[in-house]
Amino acid sequence: MKRETDYGYEIKPVYTPEDIADLDYTKDVGDPGAYPYVRGYHPNGYRNRVWTRRMTAGIGSSKRTNEVLKRYREMGQTQGILVICDRPNAMPIDADHPMGRREAGVLGWHGASLLEFEELMDGIPLTGQSITLLGSSAMSCMRLAYVVALAEKRGMDFREVHGSVTEYPFCSTCGQTDHMPLDLLIKLWMDSSEFIVRNKIHMRSGILSQHFQESGGNNAQALAMEIAQLKELLGLLVNERGLDFDDLSLLPYELVSVGSRFFEEIAKVRALRRMYAKMAKETFKAKTDKACQLLISVHTSGRTMTYQQPLNNIARCAIQTLAGAIAGCTAIDNACLDNAHAEPSAFAARMSLNTQHIVSDETGVTDVTDPLAGSYFVEYLTSRIEEEAYKILKQIEDQGGMTAAVKKGYIHNMMEESARKRQKEIESGERLVVGVNELAIPPEEDDEIPIESVVASDSEEIAERMENWKRKRNIPLLKEAIARVYDDAKKGRNFNLMPSIIEAVKAYGTAGEITGVIRMANGYHYDPLEMIECPFAL
Amino acid sequence: MNNGRKIKVLVSVIGLDGHFTGAQIVSRFLMDAGMEVVYLGIYQTPEMIVRAAIDESVDVIGISSHASNYGQIGLLIDLMKKNDLVDVPLICGGTIPKGEAEALIKRGVSKIFPPQSTSESIIEYIVSCARG
Repeated sequence: MKRETDYGYEIKPVYTPEDIADLDYTKDVGDPGAYPYVRGYHPNGYRNRVWTRRMTAGIGSSKRTNEVLKRYREMGQTQGILVICDRPNAMPIDADHPMGRREAGVLGWHGASLLEFEELMDGIPLTGQSITLLGSSAMSCMRLAYVVALAEKRGMDFREVHGSVTEYPFCSTCGQTDHMPLDLLIKLWMDSSEFIVRNKIHMRSGILSQHFQESGGNNAQALAMEIAQLKELLGLLVNERGLDFDDLSLLPYELVSVGSRFFEEIAKVRALRRMYAKMAKETFKAKTDKACQLLISVHTSGRTMTYQQPLNNIARCAIQTLAGAIAGCTAIDNACLDNAHAEPSAFAARMSLNTQHIVSDETGVTDVTDPLAGSYFVEYLTSRIEEEAYKILKQIEDQGGMTAAVKKGYIHNMMEESARKRQKEIESGERLVVGVNELAIPPEEDDEIPIESVVASDSEEIAERMENWKRKRNIPLLKEAIARVYDDAKKGRNFNLMPSIIEAVKAYGTAGEITGVIRMANGYHYDPLEMIECPFAL
Repeated sequence: MNNGRKIKVLVSVIGLDGHFTGAQIVSRFLMDAGMEVVYLGIYQTPEMIVRAAIDESVDVIGISSHASNYGQIGLLIDLMKKNDLVDVPLICGGTIPKGEAEALIKRGVSKIFPPQSTSESIIEYIVSCARG
């Protein structure tokens, strides 16, 4: 069995004060609440507020997802909701598109219009809990517009809503794969971000290393990627949109993937806080403390969930949740025990939510902040992964920064190589995975678990409903709003499309329609799959 | 193998599934095992996959599936039958739950490899079933 970190550092049998002799506690670590925030942002840690314990929802029709959210609430999820979008949303195409018909609602919620958001949120408060929608970058502006429009309909100020509905443009490189060209994704991400910052909306934008790591990247690479992305994207908002870095401090949040390499995962998150704080201060000349603090959420790792003996995943989920909690984070969502089989069943979701509560309420982990600080091993690992990450970061910067590194295929190659290495390590038995290459059992003896599924007719139903409903809209109003989006989209990279997108969303323009005309205005085909034509005369 | 001619495998992700890592890892070890791989990548409709299989005259089709869109695989099976590709084995791999896997086998998929399958088992299977 290999005794080295996933980024190739060989671990010693014991660590002593000598290993951290260079570390200056006040300068390099600091108390919780003090720069460089290795130990977290709050002196009282979870005593002020326990992390948000939430589960991913999103399958079938909006009404079905709404029912799931209500069921989660009954199970005890009251601090926030997390909804993942379907694959047609990631294009984005509508359910009534020939390809949308086949997959609407299959891998998530088909949130292609304000109507679907209204159905999703029916009977669910917009405030008092965080609202998080995930699943594609291309939908960022649309989802932000849904929140603005629904808040207005409910007679409330959209500034009262908190959560995150927008997402970073680089997710298209990392296995999530939007179909929108990268430059257009960056432009739209800047539009939604600028709108959030200028209007002082309490909405974060996900700038994540999770997709990259779940698609194969190792811990050090994920750390480097995250800093490279933040540097590039926040830099764009400062340089192209003229925003003050200190005002941007409330924008980004990171969803870090936490696997089973317990101490390494904790070291990764601690190092991330230090690296971000240093970047904020040194690169962006941050003036406030807040601007040096990156909000960090944890996703326990889906790729570590095995298909074989799925009940073993409960143990993995518990270990990872504990690691996330000790590392310090603001929210945790789990990949469930059935992650390698299907979307979470009610059984699996309850197990995950209960696991989080067992960790938070029974282990004492919420009593003390950053309890592993001062451990020779953990402090050494924190410095070590940071050092490795800086080396990779330098390579990304030598490519010309994150966007350039993506376009040159550098990021993709790094991810693929890492995934291959892991596959080889498991096949050769250098890394053991219980139920896979250790203590395996015949498939016929495997655990039976409930499977959550959708059938083809569910997608067709969503598609048919959309087709009929589209005809009943106020067509003149819709045409006018769509034409405005198209005209504004021709005004260049830094003309903000959020105001016209909000009007089009209020007129019940759909994801396929609104992003379709934005694509056209930028010289692309209306339909990302080039199967249908634009229904509007522009 | 195969009278000295390389086995030609089409590897693709189907429909709107964007998860390409599995397909790329499999493609790489099939090539390392001496096979010729036609890698189509993501966003391939069943129609595009069948077209490529005919044009490239492949011996095996491999679909990597991580988006629960089994309907698309069903459509691919129908299209393969319609286009006389009955002698080309269709292999799937990925996060396919047991019930769905059984239904797909019944419908005409030759073999389904669950996650964590070894490269050796996949290579061996392809060598044993590729059309001559």
